[in-house]
Amino acid sequence: MIGHNEPMMALRRVAFCVAGVVSAVVILALPAVVPGAAVLILWATGTLAEQPAPVVAPVFLVLFPLTVALLVVLATPFGRTTGKWHRFLARRLLGARMDAPPPRRSRRISDGPGWRALGYGVLKVPLAIPEGYGAFCFVFGVVNLSYPLWWPLFRNHPPGTTLGPVWALTPFGMISTRTFAGTFLIAAAGLAMLLVAPWLMRAGVALDLAAMRRLLGPGRVAELTESRAQAIDDAAAMMRRLERDLHDGAQIRLATLAMNLGMATEKLGADGPPPDLDQARELVALAHRGAKEALADLRDLVRGIHPPVLDNGLGDALGTLATSSAIPVEVHVDLPVRPSPAIETIVYFCAAELLANAAKHSRATSIKLTVGGRLTLTVEDDGAGGADPNGPGLSGLARRIAVVDGRMTVTSPPGGPTRVDIHI
Amino acid sequence: MRVVIAEDAAMMREGLVRLLTDRGFEVCAAVADADALRAATATAVPDVAIIDIRMPPTHTDEGLRAAIDIRRDHPTVGVLVFSQYVETRYATRLLADRPTGVGYLLKDRVADVADFVDALTRVASGGTALDPEVVGHLMRAGRDTTGMAALTPREREVLALMAEGRSNAGIAAALVITSGVVEKHVANIFTKLGLPPSDTDNRRVLAVLRHVAG
Repeated sequence: MIGHNEPMMALRRVAFCVAGVVSAVVILALPAVVPGAAVLILWATGTLAEQPAPVVAPVFLVLFPLTVALLVVLATPFGRTTGKWHRFLARRLLGARMDAPPPRRSRRISDGPGWRALGYGVLKVPLAIPEGYGAFCFVFGVVNLSYPLWWPLFRNHPPGTTLGPVWALTPFGMISTRTFAGTFLIAAAGLAMLLVAPWLMRAGVALDLAAMRRLLGPGRVAELTESRAQAIDDAAAMMRRLERDLHDGAQIRLATLAMNLGMATEKLGADGPPPDLDQARELVALAHRGAKEALADLRDLVRGIHPPVLDNGLGDALGTLATSSAIPVEVHVDLPVRPSPAIETIVYFCAAELLANAAKHSRATSIKLTVGGRLTLTVEDDGAGGADPNGPGLSGLARRIAVVDGRMTVTSPPGGPTRVDIHI
Repeated sequence: MRVVIAEDAAMMREGLVRLLTDRGFEVCAAVADADALRAATATAVPDVAIIDIRMPPTHTDEGLRAAIDIRRDHPTVGVLVFSQYVETRYATRLLADRPTGVGYLLKDRVADVADFVDALTRVASGGTALDPEVVGHLMRAGRDTTGMAALTPREREVLALMAEGRSNAGIAAALVITSGVVEKHVANIFTKLGLPPSDTDNRRVLAVLRHVAG
């Protein structure tokens, strides 16, 4: 994850916008390359010199369908390639991680992700307009703002010299000045452009990212397939863990308890005075302790399946969870509407896992746990940082959240602090 | 009588040691995994080994595999496999080469100390002890084969008790009938299953069970 360093982020955004304009120009230019080249060749060989019309017309009649056919064949590979390039740009410059679509299955034309990526390419042309405009405002805003600085350096001619006006580029056309005072007008225009530029770029980039998520990602079906497989795996793993816990925990305790009671029964004898009362007493005490341990085991297990306090809502459940944490936890829950039980359970177990992670790795002295409107879970600690969002724990959590269309962002620079946001 | 115990749950293991020592068995070794069990069996050569099926490292069937190895390498050592659940495939694998000196019991059976000690003694002296649950599963698995379908409910009960490893007298006591009636049922069972009627050995019954469970 790229840090929240605002000036650096702004520069990256400018680079992304400029790259977007380049992409759009390339995309617009490509379909014209084939007929353009043909015309160029015809022109170079002199065919067009005398009587252009009779030659050009048949050439275009052949070239046009040929171009169309070529474009159709090359469309999806081209779409995928540009898609890859744009995902790379978004990741490097904007820190927006996007999964690639599944690879092409056959050599047929029907390549859904390829066509979607091509759709993005076409959409890139209008998207590049606010981006390009923003980048233009940014670059020329800086240039215009600097006019008063370099005016005294170059415009130091003797009085009376007649000079041409100095021109400056603005979104509303060229403006010019012949005086030092006029440069301040240009600088003001530059300042205005600089103020507008970030908003233009932000809007352009936001639209672009939204389009990318829809058109360059794995696609809804692939996402759903993956999250469904994840849900099934999770359920199976849960059952396996449950079986294991019962088998090694309560079941073995109860078997031992039964064995101890069996032995005690023998020591007490069938009737009459007990043959070995002391041993029988000891065995019953052992069995008693075993029964209490089995109960504690079962209680832990039951809480692991579904914490009963969750029925009272997330506030109570997370409060209870916080009290069992080794590191002090400050809990804020502010939910105007109560979420569905399934969502509450997921939030609860995410919180439990994040708290456990913090306790294990962060070396923090305090943790802040916040649940807010539209279901956002934030866990923040003051620990050592360096949590790896691609590690097995956090990436597993991210996959599980994806099942309910949630997203997770992790900010954990080395040296801390760590902050994990989950939006569901 | 010398015993080796392989059980990964410490409290169960200690309980078994206590129970068996109390009943006059000599516990040569009490170990927690299959490798230690193989080693202990090779050095101590006990009369019987009590083996938990699920043990570290994989917690699947290492106990069963060790049991099969021990039956192959040390034919004199009885093997009592001990588990928290019944798996018919495990029983048939265990009985595969010869149905002698072998047992498969649910862990719950330790609660009845006398029955458990009885079963252990039987296995140690070359007999068999199959858990009623195991027998039930095996008989249900073979319920559709010819022979088995012809048995009356009472004959099935007798067959099940025989398969558990009980003697005719034991069966008579369990069903509250006389030994003579038991013998008559046994003869009928053998006739219906097409087995030589003279052979009343339990091994014969185990062979049948093994056959029907496939």
